Amino acid sequence: MGRIVLENVTKSFGDAQVIPPLNLTIEDGEFAVFVGPSGCGKSTLLRLIAGLEETTSGQILIDGEDATRVPPSKRGLAMVFQSYALYPHMTVRKNIAFPLRMAKMDQAEIDKKVEGAAKILNLADYLEQKPGQLSGGQRQRVAIGRAIVREPAAFLFDEPLSNLDAALRVGMRLEISELHNRLATTMIYVTHDQVEAMTMANKIVVLRAGHIEQVGSPLDLYRTPRNLFVAGFIGSPKMNFIEGSEAEKHGAKTIGIRPEHITVSADSGPWEGTVGVSEHLGSDTFFHIHNSGLAETITVRADGEVGFKHGDRVRLAPREDVIHRFDAEGLRIA
Amino acid sequence: MRRAAPGSRVMSDRKLPRLLQTPAVLLLLIWMLIPLGMTLYFSFIRYVLNSLRRPEWTTPSLSNWRGFGNYQFVLNNKDFLFAIQNSLLIVCSILFLTVILGVLIAVLINKAFPGRGIVRVLLISPFFVMPAVNAVLWINMILDPVLGLQGLAVNGINGMIASLQNAPVVGWFFSLWPQLEPISFRATQTSAYAVIIMVTWQWTPFAVLIFMTSLQSEDQQQKEAAVLDGAGLWSQFRFLTLPHLSRPIAIVVMIQAIFHLSLYAEIEIVSRGNGNKNLPYLIGEFANNNIGAASATGIFAVILANIVAIFLLRMIGKTLME
Ligand SMILES: Nc1ncnc2c1ncn2[C@@H]1O[C@H](COP(=O)(O)OP(=O)(O)O)[C@@H](O)[C@H]1O
Ligand SMILES: [Mg+2]
Repeated sequence: MGRIVLENVTKSFGDAQVIPPLNLTIEDGEFAVFVGPSGCGKSTLLRLIAGLEETTSGQILIDGEDATRVPPSKRGLAMVFQSYALYPHMTVRKNIAFPLRMAKMDQAEIDKKVEGAAKILNLADYLEQKPGQLSGGQRQRVAIGRAIVREPAAFLFDEPLSNLDAALRVGMRLEISELHNRLATTMIYVTHDQVEAMTMANKIVVLRAGHIEQVGSPLDLYRTPRNLFVAGFIGSPKMNFIEGSEAEKHGAKTIGIRPEHITVSADSGPWEGTVGVSEHLGSDTFFHIHNSGLAETITVRADGEVGFKHGDRVRLAPREDVIHRFDAEGLRIA
Repeated sequence: MRRAAPGSRVMSDRKLPRLLQTPAVLLLLIWMLIPLGMTLYFSFIRYVLNSLRRPEWTTPSLSNWRGFGNYQFVLNNKDFLFAIQNSLLIVCSILFLTVILGVLIAVLINKAFPGRGIVRVLLISPFFVMPAVNAVLWINMILDPVLGLQGLAVNGINGMIASLQNAPVVGWFFSLWPQLEPISFRATQTSAYAVIIMVTWQWTPFAVLIFMTSLQSEDQQQKEAAVLDGAGLWSQFRFLTLPHLSRPIAIVVMIQAIFHLSLYAEIEIVSRGNGNKNLPYLIGEFANNNIGAASATGIFAVILANIVAIFLLRMIGKTLME
């Protein structure tokens, strides 16, 4: 079980209120991702849940029980840190066994659990090595192993992949998602990378300056961003924002259209512009279109075979049914 | 062998730094090898400063070759074994006390508290007192059985007990107490303890300083992970802090072992070596006339220092690294 509820939780460091009153429910078994720019309070929020920071006011409920003043070790949560926080003087085996040893479990049981975890995480060959001898990905797995053996009510991850290189990150992302499917335990995952959020989450919580901007499934957020911030933050490449007369035509202060919802061609479409930089990914090509009279740059996603060159005049056709409209406050117009 | 043509740049790249290091390395070698060589040489010949009977022994020369005679002479000296034992007692006690006190104090003052800066400076200050001054201060002002703080304290306690013995209800209890005797630290049996106390006082700050620096580089996330893993304060100390400190502890032990095996001023000032000799003190006594025997003792001291160092390092490595 691992249902976590935050009720009017706030956190201040001295005079600075980092988390204004915040309400959030994470259901049992959910994979929740806190996403937002650096410094928006994601780690602080996670540490409040873990009990590593004291809540200034409000309540944290874990499985219906008030855990606000419960010490971290008694909350039944396990955390995986960005720096892995492995114990450098212990072997992998001892690292993974540490929480069990602290719980005074008997040795035979500990060995069984450690080996079980090592098998799941492909660490069986490394059990007698020290963390210093492992690669980044392996260290991350040891950290996860140390969390798994405790059979916590929920896992907390604080940017666990940001120290890994791009290829490993994709691999570990899959492994963590698979782990979630397998264990079906609540996971709360903090990242500033919206791709990680979109690919892993059941529920994304978008944060800005300690505020929750929107909570929803990845597709909810993609289809109906509640405001300009979420619209700009979710989706890659970023949504195009257009103001002025074109927006007024749609009865909005700002309209947004995603790069994948614009068709670029030589001759058809209401908008026009010049091709600037094109980014070829093979499967797709991203064109950055200038001089359209709509915005500084319009980004367009096209098929990989579309072959416009720098300086070509092109026409753009947005899909009218997926134009997002925002009012003067930046809120979505339904 | 390196090929000349394409490799020539690589070669000069390596040679130049080596060449530039040579003077320093040579100087160090000379610095160490000449004294060691001379000590070895003197330890195998008869060499005394004054001899009316055999004036030829007063100049070092190979013709005065004595083989292991000096070593035998030293081994047969009644003070030799005692000096070795005493050296070990003093060094090991000081190491033990400074490391334990050092770790405790460093951990205590590593937390933030008001006035931490001043406390740190005060803690370090004993280290800046000269050894001879340290010894004079301790033996005369603190440990002296009559005029020192010890004498005053013992007197004061005795006086208090005496007055309490006449108190109504609890008097009988205090009349069971014995009269306390101040300890004379210049005495044969206790002078080693005086040396241990004063050197520990002086060198604990050194240990604190090194441990404190190391504690500041301790990873806080590891601590937090341990907290979440259910580790209490003691487990955090035992399984994270202590292993983290094992290298600095090894450094403190090594450096202090080297320094304290050659203690001299304190021993001279406390009891002039009465009942409390170590190898350097013995060397000093021999060197009043018999340089050959002094050199042989010196070689024994070198061997002892190496054994102690190896033994201590092994022990620390074993116990702290899990
Ligand atoms: N211990 C602390 N003391 C003071 N300010 C802090 C502390 N921890 C975090 N902050 C501040 O809180 C804000 C949020 O930090 P954090 O939660 O680490 O952001 P994120 O993880 O989203 O990058 C930042 O402005 C940071 O400076
Ligand atoms: Mg963070």
